[in-house]
Amino acid sequence: MIPGKYRSVSGRAASNVNCGLHLVIQASSLPEKNKVRFKQVEFKLNKETPSFPGRLLQHDLERNYSSRQGDHINLVSSSMPSFPILQRSSEEKILYSDRLTLERQKLTVCPIIDGEEHLRLLNFQHNFITRIQNISNLQRLIFLDLYDNQIEEISGLSTLRSLRVLLLGKNRIKKISNLENLKSLDVLDLHGNQITKIENVNHLCDLRVLNLARNLLSHVDNLNGLDSLTELNLRHNQITFVRDVDNLPCLQRLFLSFNNISTFESVCCLADATSLSDITFDGNPIAQESWYKHTVLQNMTQLRQLDTKRVTEEERRMASVVAKKEEEKKRESHKQSLLKEKKRLTINNVARKWDLQQHRITNIATNQDRKDSDSQDHCQNDGSTISAFPEETGSLDSGLTSALQGLSVTDTHLVEVDGDTLSLYGSGALECLDRNWSVQTAGMVTTVSFTFIEFDEIVQVLPKLRIKFPNSLHLKFKETNLVTLQQFNALAQLRRVDQLTVDPQGNPVVNFTLWKYYVLFRLSHFNMQKINGTEVTQNDMIMAERLFGILAHVASSELPQYHLISILGDARKKQFRYLLETKGKKPGIVNEENNDSKRLVGESTNRATLNYTTRDFYNEKLEEIKEKKKFCKIYIEDLVKEATEINMKNEALQKLWPQMFIELVRDAVMEIRNKNSYMKLCLQQITDQK
Amino acid sequence: MLSPERLALPDYEYLAQRHVLTYMEDAVCQLLENKEDISQYGIARFFTEYFNSVCQGTHILFREFSFIQATPHNRASFLRAFWRCFRTVGKNGDLLTMREYHCLLQLLCPDFPLELTQKAARIVLMDDAMDCLMSFSDFLFAFQIQFYYSEFLESVAAIYQDLLSGKNPNTVIVPTSSSGQHRQRPTSGEASMLEGVEAPLFYQCLENLCDRHKYSCPPPALVKEVLSNVQRLTFYGFLVALSKHHINQALGALPDKGDLMHDPALDEELERLLLPFFRLAQIPGLVNSVTAGPEASCLPRTPPRVGSPWRPLHHARKVDAESDGSTEETDESET
Repeated sequence: MIPGKYRSVSGRAASNVNCGLHLVIQASSLPEKNKVRFKQVEFKLNKETPSFPGRLLQHDLERNYSSRQGDHINLVSSSMPSFPILQRSSEEKILYSDRLTLERQKLTVCPIIDGEEHLRLLNFQHNFITRIQNISNLQRLIFLDLYDNQIEEISGLSTLRSLRVLLLGKNRIKKISNLENLKSLDVLDLHGNQITKIENVNHLCDLRVLNLARNLLSHVDNLNGLDSLTELNLRHNQITFVRDVDNLPCLQRLFLSFNNISTFESVCCLADATSLSDITFDGNPIAQESWYKHTVLQNMTQLRQLDTKRVTEEERRMASVVAKKEEEKKRESHKQSLLKEKKRLTINNVARKWDLQQHRITNIATNQDRKDSDSQDHCQNDGSTISAFPEETGSLDSGLTSALQGLSVTDTHLVEVDGDTLSLYGSGALECLDRNWSVQTAGMVTTVSFTFIEFDEIVQVLPKLRIKFPNSLHLKFKETNLVTLQQFNALAQLRRVDQLTVDPQGNPVVNFTLWKYYVLFRLSHFNMQKINGTEVTQNDMIMAERLFGILAHVASSELPQYHLISILGDARKKQFRYLLETKGKKPGIVNEENNDSKRLVGESTNRATLNYTTRDFYNEKLEEIKEKKKFCKIYIEDLVKEATEINMKNEALQKLWPQMFIELVRDAVMEIRNKNSYMKLCLQQITDQK
Repeated sequence: MLSPERLALPDYEYLAQRHVLTYMEDAVCQLLENKEDISQYGIARFFTEYFNSVCQGTHILFREFSFIQATPHNRASFLRAFWRCFRTVGKNGDLLTMREYHCLLQLLCPDFPLELTQKAARIVLMDDAMDCLMSFSDFLFAFQIQFYYSEFLESVAAIYQDLLSGKNPNTVIVPTSSSGQHRQRPTSGEASMLEGVEAPLFYQCLENLCDRHKYSCPPPALVKEVLSNVQRLTFYGFLVALSKHHINQALGALPDKGDLMHDPALDEELERLLLPFFRLAQIPGLVNSVTAGPEASCLPRTPPRVGSPWRPLHHARKVDAESDGSTEETDESET
């Protein structure tokens, strides 16, 4: 008998119904007291006792009446063809002067009720009435029950100013309307209709109970003015969000079961509904969430019941603890995401600078560029705040022991240590190798990744890397301008390399067929495990040797010794120069390093000649050579000129000599031709000398 | 020592023309560079070693480009060194791009200019599709004439341009070195109808050029032979013909095409170098089975019909024949 929706409204409904039934029996046995009792009920309705859902009582009560009264009613066809006229015997009128029940009469229209102006209670339950008609004369009507009819529109009620209870459940109403004059309405039941929107109720300032269960509401809104509303039933709708509930000063019970609420944000106004003590969310997606209970309890401390269960102190405490944790986590994650965002922006910035540097910015996607640059500007604006960052994370060396992530963000470069990975973005990041890293951090780093840095710049810090991060095994290069095979030669000076990853992005060398083999060949003393994530096989090694073995052989065995010395000497000098710079104070370590480098050279004797000098360094060297050449040229020129001159003189002498000789001989012969006179002359000379 | 030319020139010029001065200067320069180290083992020893290495052609290894291109002997030595060091790459059957060849060149000469490599590639690829793959032998022979006769080719390009535009090239005496000039090739416009220039006229001009050219140029007889076969030809047609021709013998730096992959001494050396690897792999002698794997998986560019490039040495001839085949293939793609 009791409609299902009512039974489930509240756990306590059943007891109330019993109570109602009790009263009914009393009333029927003592008709005289009936009026008194009704007044009592009326009184109760006015009293607004929060723990006592009076409307239920009312409803059941009247239904019980109707079943008893129905027998005594005569429906007489009126003169008008469409409306039957209702007449009651005077006896009955006296007996039930203020009530009339027309339950299950198969009525399709409201009958004309004549001479019943004193009626206060009218019941049309379970008929087929499609339109509310012919009751405008019943101006003293307080209770009108049209449950289970076929009414499509609320109408014909404008004169019933004293109506307090209007039951229109299980009809076909699509819209709440025409309630303007029902200012003293106390209970409005519209459950089981087709209403999509809450409207035209803002003037019902005395309304205590509003039932909109099993309608087609998609949201809750427009509730202001309902200043007396204590119970709002919205079960079985399609509500996704609730608003305006905080404008209901008296609301105590709100039933939102079986709707489509999935986040607490969509019902967050409930947190401000201070009078609310009882709420249900069961049957909503939100109730499935793990955070559901404590979130609700944390946000709605005023609750006494949640989903018909009492909220205990323990639960409340738990909720607050969980919420606090949640809050912390959120803050932490917010911080993380902030850092991430900063990192992203910085990397963007670095990338842009890199692109500019590489002259790679094209006209394509200028819009995107502009957008990018906006964010860059933003980042740069942030610069002032970020600039404090390196200081803050300056303690990262020591602090990092516990924290996994350290971030040092500036505009032009980024240094990040994440677990065993040291990531460097932008050439400025290389300076971090000058920093004093804690032993632990330095020891932990096994992967070093370079992004947006010229390889030539990296080459210059490789000796530092070798010392500062002795355990680095895996090198990653991305956007580093690796263009030629000989650049890989530079990596040979490291201590160990197990893995090498060269991203094709910004490293054209990866497009070569031979690059892997060259790396394997040149860095064979490292016994590399992986190149670009692929395991190195024995066959790869053999192939590398086959391809480049001869090069190494030629380089080592055919290189003239003077040149070999100069090549090896350069490498050694370079290393030595750095060592002098940094470790000059500790000679012991220098020696150790020196030995180390000698051992290294020994490991790859025949390929040590294949080394790489950065472009700048090489150009410097070429300049030097040019100077020397100039000098040598002049020197040799002078030498050769001198030599040729001597040669020329010599030749001239050679040419003249025979003639000279002949002349000499001729003179001599001529002199001694006359032997006597010559002897005389000689004697004369001898005597003259004495 | 007493060649007749010697008497025709003053000593100094003679030495300069024979590039003796270049080597003397360089020797002193090297001596200066490493005077501490060299003084340890004797200056006389150094000079002996230096001029020995010049004779053997190993003096150009890892030297700067300005030295490598300084004399024809240096150029020939460099060509030979390049061939010897990277013959294995060609033997493997890999087709490489211009940039990759350039990288290989840079391994021997760090500041080798890209321009020269590009020009050489242009001879192989006929100036289009510079990213195409080339076989080692194609590149090597094109590179040979480009590198060895680089100044001569500049002049030829200028002459060709003049002929194309109808000028009398003989009035042009100083060849312009602007490299961009010959790039405006007659692929478009009026020249495309009558491509190239008339061979006899071209030859006349070249003969003239050879006579007065102070840099090395190919023997006129060879040029004549190349030019006498055709009526008209383009600049690149000329270069391609020249590079395919037996200009090797004239230069003496590289072996003939057929013998290009053949260098028993170094092959032996390579086998010796590879021995430790095979010992590690524990399959000594099974060269083919070991190398077939990586070659199939890692070098997909290898033309499929060049089976396993790592045959035992006595099959070297066969490999050559096959790589000739790949040359033909690239020829087809050019036309």
